[in-house]
Amino acid sequence: MKRSLPATLLLGLSGLFLLLLIGMPFWWVVTGSFKLPQEIIARVPTMVPHSFTLQHFAKLLSGSDYPVYMINSLLVAGISTAITLVLSVPAAYAFFRLAFPGREALYRIILLAYAFPSIVVLIPLFGMFARIGLIDTLAALVIINVTFALPFSIWMLRSFFASVPKEIEEAALMDGAPPTVILRRIMIPLIAPGIASVGIFAFISAWTEYVFASVLILSDAKRTVPVGFSGIIGQYQIDWGLLLSGASLAVLPVVILFALVGRWFVSGLTEGAVK
Amino acid sequence: MAELSIRGVRKSFGETEVIRNVDLSVGNGEFVVFVGPSGCGKSTLLRMIAGLENVTSGTISIDGADVTHADPSKRGIAMVFQTYALYPHMTVEENMGFGLEMAGIPADERKRMVRRAAETLHLETYLARKPKQLSGGQRQRVAIGRAIVRDPKIFLFDEPLSNLDAELRVRMRIEIAKLHADLGATMIYVTHDQVEAMTLASRIVVLRDGRIEQVGTPLELYNNPDNQFVAGFIGSPKMNFVPARVTGRTEDGAVKLAVDSLGLAEFAVMPRERNATMPETLSIGIRPEHFLPPGTDGAMDVSLGLGAVEHLGGVSYIYTEPGRDGSLTAEVRGLPGLKAGGLLPLAVNPDTCLLFSTEGARL
Ligand SMILES: Nc1ncnc2c1ncn2[C@@H]1O[C@H](COP(=O)(O)OP(=O)(O)OP(=O)(O)O)[C@@H](O)[C@H]1O
Ligand SMILES: [Mg+2]
Repeated sequence: MKRSLPATLLLGLSGLFLLLLIGMPFWWVVTGSFKLPQEIIARVPTMVPHSFTLQHFAKLLSGSDYPVYMINSLLVAGISTAITLVLSVPAAYAFFRLAFPGREALYRIILLAYAFPSIVVLIPLFGMFARIGLIDTLAALVIINVTFALPFSIWMLRSFFASVPKEIEEAALMDGAPPTVILRRIMIPLIAPGIASVGIFAFISAWTEYVFASVLILSDAKRTVPVGFSGIIGQYQIDWGLLLSGASLAVLPVVILFALVGRWFVSGLTEGAVK
Repeated sequence: MAELSIRGVRKSFGETEVIRNVDLSVGNGEFVVFVGPSGCGKSTLLRMIAGLENVTSGTISIDGADVTHADPSKRGIAMVFQTYALYPHMTVEENMGFGLEMAGIPADERKRMVRRAAETLHLETYLARKPKQLSGGQRQRVAIGRAIVRDPKIFLFDEPLSNLDAELRVRMRIEIAKLHADLGATMIYVTHDQVEAMTLASRIVVLRDGRIEQVGTPLELYNNPDNQFVAGFIGSPKMNFVPARVTGRTEDGAVKLAVDSLGLAEFAVMPRERNATMPETLSIGIRPEHFLPPGTDGAMDVSLGLGAVEHLGGVSYIYTEPGRDGSLTAEVRGLPGLKAGGLLPLAVNPDTCLLFSTEGARL
């Protein structure tokens, strides 16, 4: 495709603008975490660090409970993501494939889960969890995260299933594949980009969840990063170095996740199947 | 190889009946082609035979066994889809072997069977490729390969060639005919293409609005159609239908007609049943290719207005009133200089004409 010079320039500039908008805070946080305290709070901020130190990271990892929070967060987010996927893929396939009365109504109703601000359901949920002894457990957070990630995941995966041409499924049926095999061997590989998106969505929402984690978890050893980390920062006075290094580490798992599943986001996966 | 029998089959989608009481027997090794206008139910009927669509009532049996409610894979049938429907994430070899794998055939045996099918279709060099690395014709061959590798009793094809360009279509048509001759399998084939239907079929089934209008060999349908619909559907360009008045009968039973629009009188056409009573008005069917040079023995001269002329090289088509109801089409040869305007003298032999009632029944 050929574009005129002004159009190319405009596209390039808007790309650059977005890159700066998103990249600047990252750059600021990550480089700041390696600066000496004097440089961080210097009157004239430095874009390129003049000093280099690992003292904030050392303090964070050996002098605070941050590693414990990190492990808790990884556990909660990882398990929540896994359960969300294990439940949403077959559920979305059922919503797509099975014709049962009330399917469309139910399909819309599940999105109603997002109609209530989490703060509204917090109190009754606390009561329920207290009764079954789930307060102050990571399992409680997993349940919450899965509950909130599922409706959207099902909703999104169903449209991915719907984008697979019906003849491919029928061909598999003619080939004698039972429904579970069709799902596993044909459909799941074809909707891999959808599964990757849903996985990332579930992981990030669990990773950043704050409200429930701050209320349902009581003991310090069970805190997740968002809650525990805000505790570290506020404990004495704001330690900017600690804040920046903690924030840098907190984005690391998400970045790694993107790097790992990024190759799944290849478009045109069904190319060559039909036509 | 198998026999297929369809008895009293109906299909409704909700309130609308799409297949209305179809009876059909397909013999061992036959090549049966379904034709009919768009939406008449060809694909639906084929999909019911495959087991991809439920049957509302009636029975389908293969080799005497009732399979009306059997799973698609239990019927010994393979289907080739119009859109190929290959598994895009699998190689050609995996595509062709998937059905065998599902049937529990061990890997090395599977490999051998796939290889043999690939040789039949000249696909050996593509076995490691994914579908998107193949051309349209190669994809269609893989789709056919996926069908033959399982050695099915019956092959179903739903417009398998309609996505290919004209030249490739001719080549694949010949390959399919050869495949049928080699395998001797029963095949059922849906198409819109007159040439495919006429050349491939041992019998053609003409469907209209969910009903079978006529079943017969291609030449039977061409020469002796049961009604005006079949007469108009088989043959290209379409048969002309001209209104006529009955003015009497000859001694041997032919009907004497006056055809005002062609200026014909005492035009004696033999009806299908010699003794059948005739209505006062009817239509004559004249195929475009049955117009003859003027003065031909046994034919009566007519002149056609040259509303439009199309030259295709070997033949030319003339249209008397293009775009209007009642316009006639004639195929003529050897008149490359013909231009629109004026009249062209031709002739019609009554022996090549067919008679239809105004309701469309053959007389
Ligand atoms: N799943 C469905 N639900 C409702 N109606 C359907 C469904 N499938 C097909 N039909 C209807 O059944 C009729 C026959 O469809 P079918 O696909 O068999 O036609 P066809 O003869 O194959 O046409 P074409 O030549 O265009 O492929 C059409 O009127 C169509 O609208
Ligand atoms: Mg069709």
